[in-house]
Amino acid sequence: MVRPTEFKITQRATEGGVSLKITGELDLSTGPALKESVDRLRRGATELTVDLSDLMFMDSTGLRLLIELDQRAKQEHWKLALVRPKYETADAVLRATGADKALPFGEAPNS
Amino acid sequence: MVSTLAEFIRDRAYSAVVSMDEHGRVTAWNPTAEAIFGRRRDDVLGRTVAELIIPERWRAAHREGLRRFLDTGEGPALDQPLEMQALRADGTEFPVEFTISALQDQGQWSFHAFLRDLSAREEADRERERLVEELHRALRGSERRFEAIVGSLGDAITIRDRDHRFVYANPAAVAHLGFDSWEELRDTAPDTIMSDFLVWGEDGREIGMEDIPSVRILRGEEAAPLLIRTVHRATGVERWNLLKAAPLADENGDVEATITIIEDVTEQKRAEQRTAFLARAGAVLASSLDYGQTLRNVAELAVPEVADWCAVDLFDEDGDRRSVAVAHVDPDRLSLAEELRSYQPDQLDPDQGLGRVFRTGEPMLYREVPDAMLVAAAIDERHLELLRAVGLRSALAVPMRLGQRILGALTLVTSESGRLLDEFDVQLAEQVAARAAVAIENSRLYSQRSSIARTLQQSLLPEQLPEIPGYELASVYLPAMEGSLVGGDFYDVWPVGESWMIIIGDVTGKGVEAAALTALVRHTMRTASEFLTSPAELLAQVDRTLKHRPALSVCTALCLRLNEDRATLAVGGHPLPLYLAGESVTKVGGHGPLLGAFTEAAWDDVTLELAAGSTLVAYTDGITDAVDEEHRRFGLDRLCEALRGLGERPAAEVVGCLTGELAEFQTGAHADDTAAIVLHRLRHIDAPESVASRAESGLSGDRRTGVSHGQTH
Repeated sequence: MVRPTEFKITQRATEGGVSLKITGELDLSTGPALKESVDRLRRGATELTVDLSDLMFMDSTGLRLLIELDQRAKQEHWKLALVRPKYETADAVLRATGADKALPFGEAPNS
Repeated sequence: MVSTLAEFIRDRAYSAVVSMDEHGRVTAWNPTAEAIFGRRRDDVLGRTVAELIIPERWRAAHREGLRRFLDTGEGPALDQPLEMQALRADGTEFPVEFTISALQDQGQWSFHAFLRDLSAREEADRERERLVEELHRALRGSERRFEAIVGSLGDAITIRDRDHRFVYANPAAVAHLGFDSWEELRDTAPDTIMSDFLVWGEDGREIGMEDIPSVRILRGEEAAPLLIRTVHRATGVERWNLLKAAPLADENGDVEATITIIEDVTEQKRAEQRTAFLARAGAVLASSLDYGQTLRNVAELAVPEVADWCAVDLFDEDGDRRSVAVAHVDPDRLSLAEELRSYQPDQLDPDQGLGRVFRTGEPMLYREVPDAMLVAAAIDERHLELLRAVGLRSALAVPMRLGQRILGALTLVTSESGRLLDEFDVQLAEQVAARAAVAIENSRLYSQRSSIARTLQQSLLPEQLPEIPGYELASVYLPAMEGSLVGGDFYDVWPVGESWMIIIGDVTGKGVEAAALTALVRHTMRTASEFLTSPAELLAQVDRTLKHRPALSVCTALCLRLNEDRATLAVGGHPLPLYLAGESVTKVGGHGPLLGAFTEAAWDDVTLELAAGSTLVAYTDGITDAVDEEHRRFGLDRLCEALRGLGERPAAEVVGCLTGELAEFQTGAHADDTAAIVLHRLRHIDAPESVASRAESGLSGDRRTGVSHGQTH
């Protein structure tokens, strides 16, 4: 299947831990890659930012992944920070499901 | 599934198998590993591979390699045979040959090493060197002593003069070259001897007289030992030989003759191949859960390494054959196999071929298939022609056995390679068949399980929609494409007193799990609707139920209560329904949180009057998320346009329009479940006039935020 934007996870260090910037679409096919990245990182970092600002689409499995992350952060006592998507197609899912209010969305680090 | 297969391979492996996790800790240690390392499985599980079997000087490199693989995915040491010293329990070192494969399952890497103890081989090498030294001494000494030593050697030894003629061959060499007596060999021209064999190098290249070490030495070249594979044309016997040659000089230092030691390394080479082949077999067989693909993988596994043709047949309980996969190096030749199959009866003869394998569970080896056998087996002329075209040289069939049950048979046939299959091939085929049986059973159970899940999911949808007075209802459910693990769109319609409940939702989850969750949500809704009138409160009830489950269980839902012309609805994380009236298409209701997901959550009811001749369309995101070949989404805009002006149409026609547009847009199968339910209010002559006021009082128990038509889209 053609994807307009290649799914990509860009990792960089932030002051308190690590930031993962997601580009492309978060769905059943790309979700596992994010989960793996987080699993690998979680062995050291104390704060994880998942930056969705360049996320173009998210389906229910992608959203479920974010909820799971949030629950894990609470159980394992580390800090999860999320950045809202700037694309309406992805952000609409967050608003429609109440995730925009219930999940730890903050401001984008560079905006 | 992967782990079952892995255990199976481990316990039966000819090689030592040691598995470790991402931390380098031992997770598996088979009986062969116990024997060669001198450590019992119970004593090593959980300890690191580094401390157990890797000599101290290489431990850091091992850890670094593991770390680098986990960080970057680079594993230069993976999937290729390596040789190294390993540590026994008593601290002594010994040489091992090994191959490491990495497998990933649910995000976790595991590493599997297949190891072979080489110390026996090195011992043999030392012994041989000693003998060769003695041989050289003997050449300088007495003729009698030379004969005594060389004659008793298991290795073939030949001496050729400058014209490549044999001037000496010990009994092993005479037999090896396919002769009955030394005299016979002596009197045969060297080229004739060579032409009795098909000869290849280790890389598969054909080897000619000019490549033979002794010939190169006579040309004045250096000649490194040469490993060759030979197949004797007449007998079909395959051998691996290592040729080592040295010059024999006269008093003046001129090369007078060459001496060649032909070391038979067939057993070693085959054992090596077997280790490598079985390691690969494990990976290939574990790589697919697709039933058909697994069958093809099994067939392709054996070609061309073991045989020229490989077929997989499955049997049902009565010994009828069910399905097959055939592989050949040259795909063009496969049509032959297809045509041949039409001659094979589905009902097997219990006394012959596969039928016999099925009945007895014993392998059958037709070491040589003479033409007379083909003539006897052929049903007609064309059949014989086909059998001859295949060029059958040798064939074997082994059962694919799972416990007491025989699932099928693996058939290997050699033709153009000229090789005759032997006991070794039977053993190898049996090992592959055993692994294949597990893989086939796993994929069969898997496809059965996913179809059970699918059936379960579909059985959760109402078989027939009830008739609601004054309305027309229609629905559509398009399951996700085959094999996809997404599942869980659902809808339901049922009466509660004077009202009607309509729900539609989407459970995020996989297979049976999603079906169970769907059942739970529907059951909760149906039960709660008996005592809760507010859809918002119903959603809250489902939310509480979902949160009580041990694993994260989330679900989107739209819950609507219909009371004559008035609909009260609440939405939890679900797309808002569309209201079609005249030319307008309007989103109605307000977004509420996903069910089962968030600690603090509340929903609001919204009420809506359904005008006569209007239609409400509730759908799941399978529609809007559908993609076309350029990866564009169907999207809400397209959906609204597809529905515009259809408010007056019969519900079934709206559904037809919607699925038609979707099918035209989508290429291939839909990746996600798709469901929609369409509610059309009929234009009655006796439609109640001012229903709004009456309905309002009737719904006093609702946490209603007021009448809303949402925003016009």
